[in-house]
Amino acid sequence: MGRKLRMVAVRCALSGLTLLLLSAVVFAAGQVLPGDVGRSILGPLADARAVAALDHQLGADAPPLLMYARWIGHLLQGDMGVSYAYRSPVAPFIVRALGKSSALAAVTLALVVPLSVGAGILAASRRGRWQDRLVNLGGLSLTVVPEFVSGILLILVFGVWLRWLPISANTRPGTGAPEQLRHLILPALPLVLVLFGYIARITRAGMIEALDADYTRTATLKGLRRSQVILRHVLRNALLPTITVIAAQTSYLLGGLVVVETLFRYQGIGSLILTAAHGKDYPMLEAGILTVGAAYILSAILADALVAMLDPR
Amino acid sequence: MTPLERQIIDEHRAGRLSRRMFLRHASRIGLLAALPAPAAALGRPGATVRVASQVPSGALEPLTVSEIGGLAMLCQTGEFLIFDGSDLVLRPSLATGWTPDADCSTWTFTLRPGVKFHDGQAFGAADVVATMDRLCDPRQGSNALSVLRGVLSPGGTRRIDELTVRFELDAPNGNFPYYVSSDNYNAIMLPANYAGDFEANFNGTGPFRLERYAAKQGASFVRNPAYWGRAALPARTEFTFFTDQQPQILALEDDQVDAIVQISVQGAQGLLRDPDVRIIDIPASTHRQIHLRCDQGPLADRRVRQAIALCLDRPGILHGLFQGRARLGNDSPFDPMFASTDRSVPQRRKDLSRAMALMNEAGHADGFETTLTTERQQEIPDLAVLVQNACGQIGIRVGLRIEDPGTYYGTAQFGRSDWLDSAIGITDYGHRGVPNVNLAAPYLSNGAWNAAHFRSAEYDRLVAGYIAATDLSAQRVLAGRIQTLLLDETPVIIPYFYDYICATGPTVTGVAVSGLSQIFLQDAALS
Amino acid sequence: MTQKLFGSFSRKRTSFLFGLLVLAFWVACAFVGPFVVPQDPYADDLMNALAPPSAEHWFGTDQIGRDVFSRVIAGARPILSVAPAATFLAALCGTMLGLVTGYAGGWVDTVLSRLVEVILALPLIVVALLVLVALGPSSLNATLVIALVFTPIIARTVRSAVLAECKLDYVPAAQLRDETALHIMFVEILPNVLPPIVVEVTVRLGYAIFTVASLSFLGFGIQPPSPDWGLSIAENYGLIVGGYGWTVGFAALATASLVIGVNLVAEGLQDAAR
Repeated sequence: MGRKLRMVAVRCALSGLTLLLLSAVVFAAGQVLPGDVGRSILGPLADARAVAALDHQLGADAPPLLMYARWIGHLLQGDMGVSYAYRSPVAPFIVRALGKSSALAAVTLALVVPLSVGAGILAASRRGRWQDRLVNLGGLSLTVVPEFVSGILLILVFGVWLRWLPISANTRPGTGAPEQLRHLILPALPLVLVLFGYIARITRAGMIEALDADYTRTATLKGLRRSQVILRHVLRNALLPTITVIAAQTSYLLGGLVVVETLFRYQGIGSLILTAAHGKDYPMLEAGILTVGAAYILSAILADALVAMLDPR
Repeated sequence: MTPLERQIIDEHRAGRLSRRMFLRHASRIGLLAALPAPAAALGRPGATVRVASQVPSGALEPLTVSEIGGLAMLCQTGEFLIFDGSDLVLRPSLATGWTPDADCSTWTFTLRPGVKFHDGQAFGAADVVATMDRLCDPRQGSNALSVLRGVLSPGGTRRIDELTVRFELDAPNGNFPYYVSSDNYNAIMLPANYAGDFEANFNGTGPFRLERYAAKQGASFVRNPAYWGRAALPARTEFTFFTDQQPQILALEDDQVDAIVQISVQGAQGLLRDPDVRIIDIPASTHRQIHLRCDQGPLADRRVRQAIALCLDRPGILHGLFQGRARLGNDSPFDPMFASTDRSVPQRRKDLSRAMALMNEAGHADGFETTLTTERQQEIPDLAVLVQNACGQIGIRVGLRIEDPGTYYGTAQFGRSDWLDSAIGITDYGHRGVPNVNLAAPYLSNGAWNAAHFRSAEYDRLVAGYIAATDLSAQRVLAGRIQTLLLDETPVIIPYFYDYICATGPTVTGVAVSGLSQIFLQDAALS
Repeated sequence: MTQKLFGSFSRKRTSFLFGLLVLAFWVACAFVGPFVVPQDPYADDLMNALAPPSAEHWFGTDQIGRDVFSRVIAGARPILSVAPAATFLAALCGTMLGLVTGYAGGWVDTVLSRLVEVILALPLIVVALLVLVALGPSSLNATLVIALVFTPIIARTVRSAVLAECKLDYVPAAQLRDETALHIMFVEILPNVLPPIVVEVTVRLGYAIFTVASLSFLGFGIQPPSPDWGLSIAENYGLIVGGYGWTVGFAALATASLVIGVNLVAEGLQDAAR
């Protein structure tokens, strides 16, 4: 157990380093963004003197290194900075957007995990049959279709033509949870389609390996029923790589959010980043991207920990 | 009666001024007795009116707001000295009257008595002085500076007594009341001790007061029981912010909201056909300016600029991009709906053979290559493609560069802005009740927004004369000469002025709007 | 049993051939499409804007009256220029990098692995957005960004293949013959690691198409007035609610068929390489 703990600690330290590197990269990229902060707040027709005055008020005319140092300093104290555009702290925006994105991601995972794991198990148990090929080829083909493409087609079919699902991801404040969920299904589906293939394939491979493994044969020889064998031995081993893959796919999921949230005009972290990039709102942009990076790294650590816990070896 | 007043009444009697135009001019010089009494509000009081609005893209600071989401918010609790309605007639709001001196270089305003801010302070001359000084102070980051520069300076607003202020202008200005009306959207009256915290309390004088504001999400307002005027009909209003048009349309069709502050024809074609939706469509002077750089390359030749302007199929554009909800532009900021516009100046039409001939004369029979730079905003990319195709007809090969608005405007300084430095560009210009602001900065030889790099001493002289002109006939004579000059020189192409469109549900009545995306709900009701 | 194997094989062949056919169709469109389409894909016709599909306009017309069918066919060219160019560039750089790091090993190896990890810590779209907001959106910049991100990924694949090769007899043998490192890498090892490289590059091509399309949709890829599919969808998807689905539906189907086609080909090649 001590070894495992140390491993996790090293992992966390490395991740922190990666995050710091990331923040520097993001900040550097932000420095070469064209445009002007004061200008983007005051609008194109504002007087140049007014823009200069506002830039100075906001501290956007300080030397880059100083701005970076200030920002990191505040960040370490838990202060994400003040949005240039909204002149109010960034953190509440990030938290709210993260909440919305998490809801979307949760709906996505809630749909994709049972679907794809089930499909993977089915494919493995019908190896070589048409079900197997369908899951394999179908899943793989869907994986490469960009989210906005499948999104458009899903909107056209389920939203416009059949009218089964609401097109808009947004609901009025005060709407009940079931209705909110219903509005999230269509936006979640493109993400589900992209993730489905990967997870199903890995589950299938893991299942096949486990089914062929010695312990399975031993268990079967011991006279256990097939369902028991699968539940007790096969699944436990087969799902380990699946967990890793789900965690690895979080990165795709987060990237997909930018596209899906744009398509469905859903104000999550993805659209927050896009808007901040357009508006040259550095504090917001940096905090948003770092949050995405942190979310990815965190999910990877979690998956590692989970695998370490479940791994019988 | 002053000579100016008598002249306007005479023009009206002689039939040279329609009733509508007469009202506009009478109201401009403070001749308010002529205004019809406001109609009584219809509908049941007490409703909650739900509105979909574009999300304000930044902090709601009255001094700096410039985009439609923010404008719609400011006018919920804030009021102006004068209200400029959709008919461009000025109506008293916090000012009850205004009169110019003989040459219109000084204007005296009488303020409404008994007005209170939402925090209980009384409204008076000191508040007007503080608000106006803030708006024209270059050190404050004021967005209104682009309107007020050269018109009013800090210190120019004087308190005469508690309910009288006098504006001493930098130069005579016959249309000054528009500069302190709702047309100058930053000019809501704030208390003299305003501390820059509008977003926290929305402290104004209006018929609604803030209930709750959440940045990027929405806002709600409740009836102000202490309002100076007739109490608002709705008990409550509720604004939800959206980043885009499509979800707003869905929300309206889904009965989640009762109104959408502003819709553009692009993407709303279905809504405009929907019999269950009421469309409020008012003419506005909102337009796109296609500038052609007059100081370099083939475009420096006036004939080439004219040739390009002759290639555009304007009626086609009106139909294709706006389904007719727009008016033809004639390559000057004089919208046909302005009273001073000289409508006898002939409209420019598509004429390819004339365009080819001009290209030949200019020595560009084989055309040339150039680049059109513009911003990704509403229908502008489509217009850019149409201009590109139009130029192709006379051999001008146009490359497109379509950028984010921030990148396009850059620092908005010459040499550091794609907008001001590009050979050809398309720029959005908002609605104004009078053309004054749009005549100056975009065209004057030293104009800060002169992307066309147009230099004409003759033009500068005509505009100075126009702005100072007090009576309508003089304005119209000068307008005609400005229009003709701009047509001849063609530093810009203005293909259209498009309508402001607001959509409401079938049961909603009494919603008032202005061409600046301001929405006024005090008379709104649901039936 | 033989029958079953054969059946499976031929079915696999079928999907490979199907993918190849779709890909070939779009490649043909990319080359000759603009010359054979019924109407000029760029020409506007404002009086016929947003016309529904008809005999004259098979897929209808868009916002400014351009023929959607012609634009969908002509739209194969921009995406099939940018994505393969980016992939090719990445393959070139990635192979070199992979060969060198695999053969040389040591600290180069560590640096490369770190780099890949940092790059993979952010979604590709976010990285690309960040760079493109800074550089300005254009086809060229999109190509470069995608190539930049794919290079270390391809390098990693090549490296692991090279590592495996280095354990085989012929590499030490060549070293004993005093062959130069360059000779060993490019003449001895490269031909042997080509199959996994080809597979990896085909897979990457699929992702490149995915990414280019997504970037164009977000406004950071191919620019107007190109008939590019992602761009067309971005320009017109606001019209869906109004019932003008044809302005985006066909471009979406075209994009989907292209990526699936490439993917089936990649899958077939992968099987063959095994």
